[in-house]
Amino acid sequence: MADLIPTLLPLGDGAVLVRFSAELSDAANRAAVGLARRLTAEPITGVAEVAPGLVSVLLRLEPGVEFSRLRGEIMLRMGAADAPVAGQEREIAVRFDGEDLGEVAERLGFSREAFVARHNGAPLRLLATGFAPGFVYCGFHGSDLVLPRRESVRPMVPAGTVLFAAGQTAIAATPIRTGWHVIGTTTFQNFDPAADPPTRLRAGDTIRFRVAA
Amino acid sequence: MTAIEITRAGPLTTLQDAGRFGMLAQGISASGPMDAGAFRAAGAMLEQAGSTAIEFTRAGLDFSVDGPVRAACAGGAFSLAVNGNRREWPARLGLDTGDVVSITPGAAGNYGYLRFDREIDVAPLLGSRSTNLTVGLGGFKRRALRAGDRIALGAMGAAVEAAAAVETEGPIRVLWGLHADLFDGAVRRGFVETVFQVSPSLDRMGIRLADPAQIFRGQRRLTLVSDAIVPGDIQILGDGTPIVLMRDHQPVGGFPRIATVVSADLDRLAQMRPGSDIRFRPVTLEHAR
Repeated sequence: MADLIPTLLPLGDGAVLVRFSAELSDAANRAAVGLARRLTAEPITGVAEVAPGLVSVLLRLEPGVEFSRLRGEIMLRMGAADAPVAGQEREIAVRFDGEDLGEVAERLGFSREAFVARHNGAPLRLLATGFAPGFVYCGFHGSDLVLPRRESVRPMVPAGTVLFAAGQTAIAATPIRTGWHVIGTTTFQNFDPAADPPTRLRAGDTIRFRVAA
Repeated sequence: MTAIEITRAGPLTTLQDAGRFGMLAQGISASGPMDAGAFRAAGAMLEQAGSTAIEFTRAGLDFSVDGPVRAACAGGAFSLAVNGNRREWPARLGLDTGDVVSITPGAAGNYGYLRFDREIDVAPLLGSRSTNLTVGLGGFKRRALRAGDRIALGAMGAAVEAAAAVETEGPIRVLWGLHADLFDGAVRRGFVETVFQVSPSLDRMGIRLADPAQIFRGQRRLTLVSDAIVPGDIQILGDGTPIVLMRDHQPVGGFPRIATVVSADLDRLAQMRPGSDIRFRPVTLEHAR
């Protein structure tokens, strides 16, 4: 696999986004997760915070850091693009009782049971945390499990709602508004503000979904 | 213990310290004062100040005092009275038991800051006493302050350095944003040339702008990968509405962002009232830093 060359994009005057692709891909996500880990293990002076995203890494900067120096320091921490991203193995039990489950299965040409079996059939990778506290994106499903988001946004879904769109499954850890399809719920809680760190899952973790007993 | 009791609070009055930094990877934006310069200015008016302020909104704040305490208030231009006697704004106040302080709407600004010589006695959450109302996190019982709340004041604070002077006039300076290249040249020119207005729809998450020239109308809808947001990002909604994202922004977002307000001008923008004209001027990164 060819190495992905990242683009360094200033995000205002206090942050830089190291972006591996403008489009979502397995390779760009692996590269972002890998770089974020190396930046955490080998910090760059003047970088106040590192946050991995779906295809990029955000570096929040202390005042006065020179962008030209940053580029070199970041490139020194780039690994091989196909280096494995090892994480924890996690199993998450889901009650597949979401109000959009029937429609989702039908649009994909499955029965509900076949959809659930297909959904849980292969492990996913935790792509990123974001959008809201402890909200996680898991991917990627096979090409037969890709649906766009809903046309409209649901007013509020509770913590523990399991969401599905764009070849991914996401878990809301706090109440949120969402345009994703609601396919189920889980009692797994990824966000506890009293804990340090407040979330349990990390980008790069392997996620296995199963049907809750 | 020394305390104040809130007798009247405008909507969205919250506790804010410098911010809850370091939590972006957990999906938590930093919050912190909408006008960071005024927040610091209030602290710098005291010989020592607690880390946390009461951030009040345009309606102001009334409170009574229980125990001797020094306080300072700054930000915008509010009206201030202590025991019914009119005082200048901003102000440093020596207060004692029974004093009644009334901060009422004034000539300018959306946010003011009240700081004390000691710490507001709420437990820090994830390293900060800031309130994130969007999530319901931190601050005073995870919510906005209201009449009847008793705010205890604890350990003495530390000296605060005054903020550097910033521009107070002229267009709001921006850097071209993450997706600027996705807007065609005519739209980018329109963004720089048009006069927007601050709309009445503003809060700690973001400020919606009125766009009378409708320069973003009819933009093709883009499907973008969600990417990190920073305070000051100007995102364009699907219907063409521009929003400047502020301190309680979502950590990531998928709407296209044309520009980002430079940090030195973000406080001034936060204080602009609905109906204010607003223009943007692109600058270089070197200029902004």
